[in-house]
Amino acid sequence: MSDLDDFKATYFDECSELLNELEEQFSAIEAGERDADRLNAVFRAIHSVKGGAGAFGFSALVGFAHAYETLLDYVRDGRIEMSDDVVTLCIRANDIVADHVKAAQTGEALPADYGMEEKDRFDALARGERGGSDDDEGGEPMDAFDIEFVPVMVKLGGDEAEADEAEADDAFDAPPMQVEPGHWEIRFTPHRALYARANDPLLLFRELAVLGDMHVRAVLEEMPSLAEFEPFAVYCSWEITLVSPSVTEAMIREVFEFVDGDCDIAIAQLGAAAGFDIPEPVVAAKPAPKPVVLTADSDPADLLALADDEVANLLDFSRDSDVAVVPKADFTPEPELAPVTVQDTFEEAPGLSFAELAETIAPSPVAKPPVQTAAVTPLRAAAPAASSDGEESSGGSRNVGVQSIRVDLDKVDRVVNMVGELVITQSMLTQQMDETLRARYTELVRGLEVLAQTTRGLQDSVMAIRAQPVKSVFSRMPRLVRELATKTGKKIKLETIGENTEIDKTVIEQLSDPLTHMVRNSADHGIETPDKRLARGKSEIGTIRLSAEQAGGNILIIVEDDGGGINRERVLQVARDKGVVAPDVNPTDEQIDQLIFAPGFSTASEVSDISGRGVGMDVVLSNIKKIGGSVHVRSWTGKGTRMTLRLPLTLAVLDVMLVKVGVSPYVVPLSSIVETIQCSRAAFERVPSGGQVLQVRGEYVQVIDLAQRFDMPSETDPENRFVVLCEAEGSAKVALIVDGIIGQQQVVIKSLEENFERVDGIAGGTILGDGNVALIVDVQGLKTTMVHKNAA
Amino acid sequence: MKTLRVLTVDDSRTILAMLHHTLSNAGFEVLQAEDGKQGLDVLKTEQVDVVITDINMPVMDGIEFIKHVRATGNHQSLPILILTTETSQDKRDQGKAAGGTGWIVKPFDPEKLISVIHRVVH
Repeated sequence: MSDLDDFKATYFDECSELLNELEEQFSAIEAGERDADRLNAVFRAIHSVKGGAGAFGFSALVGFAHAYETLLDYVRDGRIEMSDDVVTLCIRANDIVADHVKAAQTGEALPADYGMEEKDRFDALARGERGGSDDDEGGEPMDAFDIEFVPVMVKLGGDEAEADEAEADDAFDAPPMQVEPGHWEIRFTPHRALYARANDPLLLFRELAVLGDMHVRAVLEEMPSLAEFEPFAVYCSWEITLVSPSVTEAMIREVFEFVDGDCDIAIAQLGAAAGFDIPEPVVAAKPAPKPVVLTADSDPADLLALADDEVANLLDFSRDSDVAVVPKADFTPEPELAPVTVQDTFEEAPGLSFAELAETIAPSPVAKPPVQTAAVTPLRAAAPAASSDGEESSGGSRNVGVQSIRVDLDKVDRVVNMVGELVITQSMLTQQMDETLRARYTELVRGLEVLAQTTRGLQDSVMAIRAQPVKSVFSRMPRLVRELATKTGKKIKLETIGENTEIDKTVIEQLSDPLTHMVRNSADHGIETPDKRLARGKSEIGTIRLSAEQAGGNILIIVEDDGGGINRERVLQVARDKGVVAPDVNPTDEQIDQLIFAPGFSTASEVSDISGRGVGMDVVLSNIKKIGGSVHVRSWTGKGTRMTLRLPLTLAVLDVMLVKVGVSPYVVPLSSIVETIQCSRAAFERVPSGGQVLQVRGEYVQVIDLAQRFDMPSETDPENRFVVLCEAEGSAKVALIVDGIIGQQQVVIKSLEENFERVDGIAGGTILGDGNVALIVDVQGLKTTMVHKNAA
Repeated sequence: MKTLRVLTVDDSRTILAMLHHTLSNAGFEVLQAEDGKQGLDVLKTEQVDVVITDINMPVMDGIEFIKHVRATGNHQSLPILILTTETSQDKRDQGKAAGGTGWIVKPFDPEKLISVIHRVVH
């Protein structure tokens, strides 16, 4: 059933949000913020997980969540203290809930006793609480906490009937044989509270009428004179007879389920003779005033009519007399007032509204002149009409309370792709406009400019839809750091900054693993043990700072620690041993730092069970590259390490400069370009290591000849070459020599890895407006690989 | 017969979705709010015939929500059904004390849900 699957998908979605929320709340709770708001939020999250699980019958999850919820409920109202032990237990419980959710989602079965130990501890805590509070409570019936886990026999069918008969016997103290099954007398006296909670006797009668043959009589003896009539007081009670062969007391009680406590209700099973019957009421013993006999649906109109009589009396009185003080007796309803007897119209016309019923009742000949009733009827009819008008006028919008909508990611992606293509088409059109065309078709040019602007706006808006705060990734880190600190015996504090910075959803998803790895690396290798830290004159608590900020078209995510920094000697040693760096090359400190990302590099002796999971930091680099980002690391011996992730704001479209290398077009991301320069061969200087440098405004910049690097024949005059000055990580500049500059445009990135294979120095490919394929230059990658290449 | 309008208030999207599905299939018009405060906002501008509300919600919980609704002059006779889990008798009582008309036990059976609504709505 697809509806159910949809709901399940919604549920699992919701669960992952709730679990994230739990994670977040508990990292604050663990830090000592144990205020009521947090505890409530935690309770609610588990409660919601349980609620949905119940709907889908995930009983193992319901069982565990329920025990956990009960504990939280106790914690929330202060019966159990949120001690560190309880916090640890809860954090463990969150994992178990997550596992249960996962099991429910994948359909895998968890061991039957999974989480049982924790559940037992919840039970013990809750029991301890109950036992400790008051000894007398030991004898109390089990509360909800136990009921969940003790099978409760539910009475069904035949059993119920027996039980009801027994109850009926008790109530009546009459020999069972005289009881005619299915003849019931119900005396129903609502309290004010019943009306205050918007319950309506009429609806109860309507439901009772479904059970069998019903007569309702309104008892109006309590009705005061109009002068004493209090608008919100309750004067009316009812006597109901219900005849049905199959009705049980439980069924009747169920009808009154919602009003239990808000009314007096007596239910009795009678022999046929004993029941009050229309038109000879048994209960109406008092001769006057005679009760007005009403049926299930007639009361309001008649009550009004009755009141109207009194109004008429009042008017008569004031007309005939000058006496201002009205003796109470004069206001008593006339004893001669004939009882209003109306046949039970309910069964014949169950769909009738109040107004319609009032009309049906109106022609009653005995009661009063028809004029009066007629005057009442429109009043009753007017109200619903007015309200339904109002509904129609304001009923245009549905789901008004919800401020956001949920859209399938696929749908958004489709829009993103189409916008991407639109951007390409637009830039292609612009490309086609040569000078002659421009001069001739000025209107077309203007139109194209507007199109360009609108496309850009459209693209930004679509990207904003996909953007999400990095919080969802950051929120997993406190837990990680906590665990690492416990395992390594270090003291680590985690600070997060800028967690509301938004990035594309896909980037966020891809960010989790690399970031986890980096934080793990910082905690494991960066931060020193407390002893070592104290010896170095630092606080024994190490700090890892996680921050996110937007910088132009990029998002920077920085993982910083105040640990010992990278051990460059060791890194270089290992790199040389593994052949990553040739023995005769002396990389700079910064280049050494970057080596930790080099493929196949891992300082094996430092591998622990935490960060050494068979993957090195090179995996971080390749993951980040996959999403169009780059990593840079900077380290200060004894002071700390900073790793900077530079991520694109969006994955779909990239602003680039189109350049020519040999005969092929290449694109350089605009975000990394500082400037373009035209210069002669003489400007380049050779350096001993075999590379070239270019002096730009007094600064020596490493030069990479793209034609040479990509083995393309260069056709340009060596005396007149173009240089694209790019900025790599850590403000280091690189000068790329190209053969020509074509122009700026936007491109849609296509992954090389997915379509071909990874190529060093190339970040991806794109299809240009004219259908040609161009490769995207990876500036940072080129700079890093040049170190190795020069070395080789 | 006029379409009955139901305001559903729950912080769980799953529950809101299931209520929406069940109720709209049964011919109700469904309005949604994610907490009590949103629910009150909806009631400021919209006429509804019945309200179904969860108890445990952020911002404003169901109990507060019901109290606020009942304190508003024109909503004194608006039926309000409380969504509760089977074991929370005390919540049910609290909800009733605040002015709740009846309750619906989660997880709800669609037919039962509709019949309970008809028990409190004309």
